[in-house]
Amino acid sequence: MIHVQELSKTFTDPKRGTRLAVDRVSFDVRAGEVFGLLGPNGAGKTTTLRLIATLLKPTGGTATLNGFDINREPAKVREQIGFLSGDMGLYGRLTPREILDFFGQLNSMDTEHRLKRVDQLIAMFDMQNFADVRTDKLSTGMKQKTAIARTMLHDPPILILDEPTSGLDVPTSRTIESAIVQAKKAGKCIIYSTHVMEEAEYLCDRIAVISDGHLKMTGTMDELRAATGKHRLREIFLDLLGLPADVSPDKE
Amino acid sequence: MRFPLIRAIYRKEMLDMFRDRRTMISMLVVPLVVFPLVISVMMRFATRMEANAETEAKTMGIAARVTTPSVREALEKLGVPVKEKGDLRAAVEKKEVAAALEERGETIEVFVDSSNPSSTAAGDRIRTALSELKDQRIRESLRHSGIPESVLTPFTVKRTNIAGERKMAGSVWGTMLGYILLLLMFTGGMYPVIDMTAGEKERKTLEAFLASPAQRREIVMGKTLAAITAIIMTAMLTLASMVYSLHSNRLATKSEEMRNVMKTIPLDANTLAMLVATLIPVAIFAASLMFAIALFARSFKEGQSYLTPLALLVIFPALLGGLPGLQSTPALFLIPIFNASLVIRGIMLGDLSTVNFAVALGANLVYAAIAFVIATRQFEKESVLFRS
Repeated sequence: MIHVQELSKTFTDPKRGTRLAVDRVSFDVRAGEVFGLLGPNGAGKTTTLRLIATLLKPTGGTATLNGFDINREPAKVREQIGFLSGDMGLYGRLTPREILDFFGQLNSMDTEHRLKRVDQLIAMFDMQNFADVRTDKLSTGMKQKTAIARTMLHDPPILILDEPTSGLDVPTSRTIESAIVQAKKAGKCIIYSTHVMEEAEYLCDRIAVISDGHLKMTGTMDELRAATGKHRLREIFLDLLGLPADVSPDKE
Repeated sequence: MRFPLIRAIYRKEMLDMFRDRRTMISMLVVPLVVFPLVISVMMRFATRMEANAETEAKTMGIAARVTTPSVREALEKLGVPVKEKGDLRAAVEKKEVAAALEERGETIEVFVDSSNPSSTAAGDRIRTALSELKDQRIRESLRHSGIPESVLTPFTVKRTNIAGERKMAGSVWGTMLGYILLLLMFTGGMYPVIDMTAGEKERKTLEAFLASPAQRREIVMGKTLAAITAIIMTAMLTLASMVYSLHSNRLATKSEEMRNVMKTIPLDANTLAMLVATLIPVAIFAASLMFAIALFARSFKEGQSYLTPLALLVIFPALLGGLPGLQSTPALFLIPIFNASLVIRGIMLGDLSTVNFAVALGANLVYAAIAFVIATRQFEKESVLFRS
């Protein structure tokens, strides 16, 4: 469903010069699969997701989403995706219901279906108590539920989630994780980035580790274990980045 | 372009705008509250200042060194205390008296401090009294000599103002209306435009918006339409507020001519329609131009620092275009903002030629289209949208 081929992005800044943010990255994500993109800050995760979501134009390579090319048919690509940015991006002066309704209109959903779907998502994410409260008055968890609901509103075949559980408490994270699992069961193709190793280990069918714009390795947990000789994802991750393994305080 | 999407974006922007306190202040409070308040306070302050000056002149009195009894008598009739002072000039300077006069042979010198309104008021009273005394003496001399008084007025000069009340009102309104309207259109549109460009970037809401199926030019169109609405609303509220303020405060002015001008507001349906036709392209131009500039900013504050100089820049052409006596040629109607001010003045005076109106309208539509294309192109540049 997602086919990324030799995708590259170079940023040119008059002050900072040229910077290669993503360097010939290739991977595939299938329908009904959760694909985790891991990497340290500034590794190129967000840029990769932005390229796939057609927010940025690649300087090399391409990607196809549900058969639509990001370079040739960006508008069609955007119809196939639900995109959650790392910053949630909610309108503070609007209520969750108004935000969902607005994005439903942007996705050309007819009024009857849109209103029904908004109610359905409000119930699904347990948002009844704050659905009509201005978003700038809500807690981080409530905002993230709204953002996830907005991403799933038009029932897209592909979900692109950039750190969906960042800064959330355990119960809210669980709600989000549960939504991701349900979406996977419904056959959605999910690509998401995270810094939470436990979550990636638990949710992802396959994981890719990216560093300095390069894709270090892609595979299932078993494949990553076999290649690195490490057991936990945290250890695998550090090993792939060339960083020393954890040091136990007792051993120091 | 898909109209339902543009309508959805427009509605969302309007809802967001009406819930933003800063935008509401610039769009509603300034024209509806601040503007009438300033006019009312200014008018009342000017009237009170005039009355205070008269009262103060009466309390302070005047100093006089006169020998002719009729002159002293004329001064006493003024109803102002007449005092004796050694140094007359110093007495006025030190505000011991409002004004002073000294009779030296056939000359009467009046000392006034023109920077002091009460001294000016006292000096005016003295001059009027002395002038009446002089006329009376001349008439008496003529009578004694057996010469008729009519020799003093061999002919009379009558000034007839052919402009009429409507044109006079148009002249006054035309001078100030264009300037105020154009300036407030830019300042009224400034906050909504910054909020929907740099504000969105600062609040990180743009990314999810851009990832939606809406095309960039549909987003620009929806947002620009909302900004145009804000600008037109500010202009119409300013116009209504000006009409109301000047009309309700007209009695505060002493000048009969000014009272008539303020009463005769040249705003019939035709004038209003021409004003709206002039302002719409300017609103599109202003909204698109501000949109393209504010998009560069990373934050609301940065957006303000970009757009404030633009609003100040508008003052000069808007002010110059309203100045009376300007020889208007069709070429002048090509200059943006200046041409709108010229047209508004022409509309209010009722002497705008069709050619000049068409030239200004056409030019402003072209400028509006260019500004919109620039705004759309800026919105397609990732170096602008994701500038950090």
